[in-house]
Amino acid sequence: MERKKVFLISVLAVMAVMLTQAQEVKVPLRFDYYYSYEKMNEALKALNTAYPAFTKLEEVGRCEEGRALMALTINNPKTGEPFSKTGVYVDGNIHGNEIQAGEVCLYLANRLLTNYGKIAEITEVVDRNVFYIIPVVNVDGRAHFFADANTPSTNRGLRIPIDDDRDGLYDEDGPDDIDGDGSITNMRIRDTLGRLKSDPSDPRLMISVKPGEKGEWTRLGQEGIDNDGDGLVNEDGEGYVDGNRNWGFNWNPNYVQRGAGNYPFEGTGIKAIAEWMLARPNIILVFAFHNNGGMYLRGPSFKAAGELPQGDISVYDYLGLNMEKIVPGYEYLISWKDLYATYGDFTDFTNNLVGSYSLVGELYQPETETYDGTLKRTSEERSRFGEASESERQRLLFDDNVNQGELFREWKTHKHPLYGDIEIGGWTKMSSRLPHPFMLQDLVHRNASSVIFAARQTPEVTMDVFEVKKVGGDLWSVRVRLVNKGAIPSVTYQTIKNKLYPIDKLSVAGSSAKVVAGGVLTDAWMNLVNYKEFRPEVQMCQVPGFGKIEYQFLVSGKGDIEIKYESRKAGSISKTVALK
Amino acid sequence: MIKLPVMRGMMLLVATLLMAPVPASAIEKYSDPAAVNRRIEQLRQANSQLVRVQKMAVTPGGREMLMIEIGSRGTSVPAVLVGANMTGLSPVATEAALDLASRIVRDANMHSDLTWYIIPVGNPDAYARYFVKPLWSDAGNARPFNDDTDDQTDEDGYNDLDGNGIITQMRVKAHDGMWVPVDGEPRLMRRADATKGEKGIYKLYTEGIDDDGDGQYNEDVPGGTNININFPHLFKNFGRRSGLYPGSEPESAALLKFAFAHPEIAMMISFGQTNYLLSPPQGGRKGSMDTENIRVPREIGTAMGIDVSRTYTMAEIIEIVQPMMPPGMQADESIIASFLGLGAVVNPLPEDMAFYTAISADYKEYLKKKGVTAERFDPAQPEDGAFEMWAYYHLGLPVFTMDFWGLPKPKEEKKESSGITAESLGKMTSEEFLALGEEKIAAFLKESGAPAQFTAQSLMGMVKGGQMKPEQMAAMMKRMPAPKADEKKGDPKETAQLAFSDTWLAEKGFTPWKSYKHPTLGEVEIGGFTPFSDNTPPVSMVDSLLDMQLPFISDLVKKLPKIAIAEVKATEKGGGVYQVEAWIANEGFLPFPTAMGKRNKAPAPAILTIEGDGMEVLSGTKRTPVNDLGGMKSARYVWLVRTTKKGALTLKLESKQAGNDSERINIGG
Repeated sequence: MERKKVFLISVLAVMAVMLTQAQEVKVPLRFDYYYSYEKMNEALKALNTAYPAFTKLEEVGRCEEGRALMALTINNPKTGEPFSKTGVYVDGNIHGNEIQAGEVCLYLANRLLTNYGKIAEITEVVDRNVFYIIPVVNVDGRAHFFADANTPSTNRGLRIPIDDDRDGLYDEDGPDDIDGDGSITNMRIRDTLGRLKSDPSDPRLMISVKPGEKGEWTRLGQEGIDNDGDGLVNEDGEGYVDGNRNWGFNWNPNYVQRGAGNYPFEGTGIKAIAEWMLARPNIILVFAFHNNGGMYLRGPSFKAAGELPQGDISVYDYLGLNMEKIVPGYEYLISWKDLYATYGDFTDFTNNLVGSYSLVGELYQPETETYDGTLKRTSEERSRFGEASESERQRLLFDDNVNQGELFREWKTHKHPLYGDIEIGGWTKMSSRLPHPFMLQDLVHRNASSVIFAARQTPEVTMDVFEVKKVGGDLWSVRVRLVNKGAIPSVTYQTIKNKLYPIDKLSVAGSSAKVVAGGVLTDAWMNLVNYKEFRPEVQMCQVPGFGKIEYQFLVSGKGDIEIKYESRKAGSISKTVALK
Repeated sequence: MIKLPVMRGMMLLVATLLMAPVPASAIEKYSDPAAVNRRIEQLRQANSQLVRVQKMAVTPGGREMLMIEIGSRGTSVPAVLVGANMTGLSPVATEAALDLASRIVRDANMHSDLTWYIIPVGNPDAYARYFVKPLWSDAGNARPFNDDTDDQTDEDGYNDLDGNGIITQMRVKAHDGMWVPVDGEPRLMRRADATKGEKGIYKLYTEGIDDDGDGQYNEDVPGGTNININFPHLFKNFGRRSGLYPGSEPESAALLKFAFAHPEIAMMISFGQTNYLLSPPQGGRKGSMDTENIRVPREIGTAMGIDVSRTYTMAEIIEIVQPMMPPGMQADESIIASFLGLGAVVNPLPEDMAFYTAISADYKEYLKKKGVTAERFDPAQPEDGAFEMWAYYHLGLPVFTMDFWGLPKPKEEKKESSGITAESLGKMTSEEFLALGEEKIAAFLKESGAPAQFTAQSLMGMVKGGQMKPEQMAAMMKRMPAPKADEKKGDPKETAQLAFSDTWLAEKGFTPWKSYKHPTLGEVEIGGFTPFSDNTPPVSMVDSLLDMQLPFISDLVKKLPKIAIAEVKATEKGGGVYQVEAWIANEGFLPFPTAMGKRNKAPAPAILTIEGDGMEVLSGTKRTPVNDLGGMKSARYVWLVRTTKKGALTLKLESKQAGNDSERINIGG
């Protein structure tokens, strides 16, 4: 018995090392283990060193504990400067515990860089876009998630101390790793008057006793002691300000939503990213990766915002419905309606204030850990709190036989300073919300593919001067067509609605020519034009996704005229035609 | 387009201040932002033991926003934050803040146990415009902002076409004109009423040309963000001058950060465009939750096992939820509000209105004693996203604001009036109301513009039957839009502004209409009000205005909550067990904290600790948060302790905002 225990512990220790530690970081990067914060930075550095011309690695800012927040920019200088292209921004791990989000970002960078020039579609998407990648937003959280004992859900927030129990002391009584296994699991105590008993089908699980039945157990909550001697256990743990509730769009204070922080952009890293993004006005597509559930979410994040403009919904639908196919089982959903309302979250900020199409990827479906070969949605059989569910039994069998029991800590007796003899056990920190590393490759590849699919839909605008016709005397009719091959328009409809920034500009100028009239050509055959009364030589416009827009100018004069299209997000085009 | 802000508030019927025409003033002119900073530095040099100066921010226009810190005890005593001139449009607010600072320095009572943080100019960039010609009014800081989202920024500002150094208005005869001169006062304009067979004559523009040739006039004036409305409560996304996000400007960001880094701040005073002392904050906004009638969302209600078809009071919900909370966690309003998704509070909470109303009554009494009897226009209520709203709704502080001067209400020939006001109505009993008689009540309804369905008869019936109390009626009256004045006489505030200009400003507050040949509009007339003439008293009046009003601040800070241990008692229970009880008293008038502070858990609670050698606490906690002490109220705290030997037991009460105290008591043996 004792020998078996020692053996088990040493096996676990070795496995823990395999899971988190590793291996020299080399390009192409490996995705069969999780990168610690330090390793993640090494990996970014390795990509940067391997592709110096295509990449720029920079520090965006620092989080509360002083850790650097790193961004990798991927741009092919031969096809133009970053601002001349559409920007695709991808980040992850804004919640410190949701670490595989960082691997998705890293994999995307690795995939794009190592296959440039080899796979035509990747070459094209890299040539046409600039990628801004911040794999880890909550760098303090990721570092602590690896280094400290945690549950799968702790270390989510920013490292801003909050006095949860309002006793004047900050973060003084968090969970404690009593059994020293690197995870915070659960405590239970034998109690014949308890309301729980062991599940007959799997004694590791507990179920409620029926009225009149004798109990076996009482739950004591997460592993921990009463650190501050106030008679409460684990009542004031680390944080909590949620990095994804601290952005400056529709932010609301703590009593409206827990984790808001004192004011928008209180988080130093959050503020640094906001400023970094606002300095990159070419960003039109944003992905933010989280765990878990297997979802792609679009905004709005709260009901009162009202629905998005129909034009934007069509774009999201096109992307979302395709991404559902790229990652089987993932559902494309609306944030507030299908999940819950949030205030001050990241994608509402980017959607409204950066003017970008913004999607949240909720990575990983625990339902894939089944042992009967089927993939079940928990929503179909969600159990009441405190009840062991069929899916939990399946997950245990899966862990027993597919992971050799690596992720579930068997109940074991311990002496607790307060409770005396108790048992500690349950799911470890690397379980439940994270796929086992053997499944990581599939997750990162498919989700990076969703990003690449969407990036292939960024606006690709071409200009065609399809008519230069003499009307009479020195008056000419010049017709210009702007065509967008991508599904994403050159300006979001929400941006137009909000008047966020000056939209695209189409202008006509010539040294010996004057634009007499100009406007949108609504019907080329009937010659119907919505002429603009003032400054006809400048037209503010949007080029719709999978669409076109046509203009007619009446120009008086001679010689060359320059027709220019300038867009914050969709690049610039200039053509010169002669009036002859 | 700028139109001088038009206040349509109800006229203030109580006695309030006008200016006392005292000539000799120590202030010779308003100080521009650079001069303000020099005066701040002089104050510091003259009182270096007491005064420190902090550079809070550098504005987009490169100006330093400074804070004066006064006091010798720093963060160990409660503090008052004073923010002035956040719009940059209130010169008198800045003078008041500087004057207040020197008064505090001179008066040991004001600084011996209080620290002051005073920002005389919250919006230096906008304020700087007051001192350059031509004069125009815009609350935006110097951040470039493309108002019309065309291809140029700040390209179409005002132009001083008549060269008088003032940006006024242009009126142009036009087919689609909507304005006509006011009957009997052709300098003023009013909207033509087509339903009365009137045709508009003029179009109104602000003074300027179409600089960028886009068909619009002055549509992209230099000016970025109004600091006053760049705060997180009810922040207006994409509003004019509101900024990209709350705290998007260095000026406002510095204040957000500072306020939360200084938990000792116990009160906020704002000098600017509102006056909570005369017009306490108003409710009536849609969207605020009603804590007496809470609807529980279906999913949550089902999970809680309660009937979702009815509404609940906050107290009922707390009772239902408490057993579901994890041990040690108290179900309070804040938790319930967030759990049920009740949303943000948008109206001042009733418990807090009690102190606002009481202090406002004190202030009016104080003014009366100072001999101020003239009537002025009702001060404005704060704009969405305003500094003073944030301080109340997010910091949970008691907030008081002053504007120091408002246009005097011109004396009108007294009409027969009912003599009833919403205020006097609110104080009547049902019997007193009925005793007024139908005629008087009918006159009152007419004056207050009550809807036609409310006849004197019907109201009297409702009061008789007990369905309505005069108090409720008064509350309804206050929420109703102000009765329309005689429309043909134009905007009453403009009439008052013109009268003030004619009498006190030697007509400098209004430029008479004069014809001008405009490059694109043709024949126009230029004229109208001078910017700032509706909110800025002549410099000669400033000293007396401040002398009259600033001393009330010392009354205000005396009302701060002050908590203390009033009594400690120990009773022996046998076996070495003692019951210890302590009375904690709030000796101040104001609650600790405000009801809003409780809701948002914004000010940290006071911590009451119990300690003693060899003592074991059997019941009660060693560190007890104290965060619900109304003004002039006491609360009792009880512990059971066990001790085997004689010794002293120490109770300590610590609060950054409301003071510290400690008591020792001997027990045991």
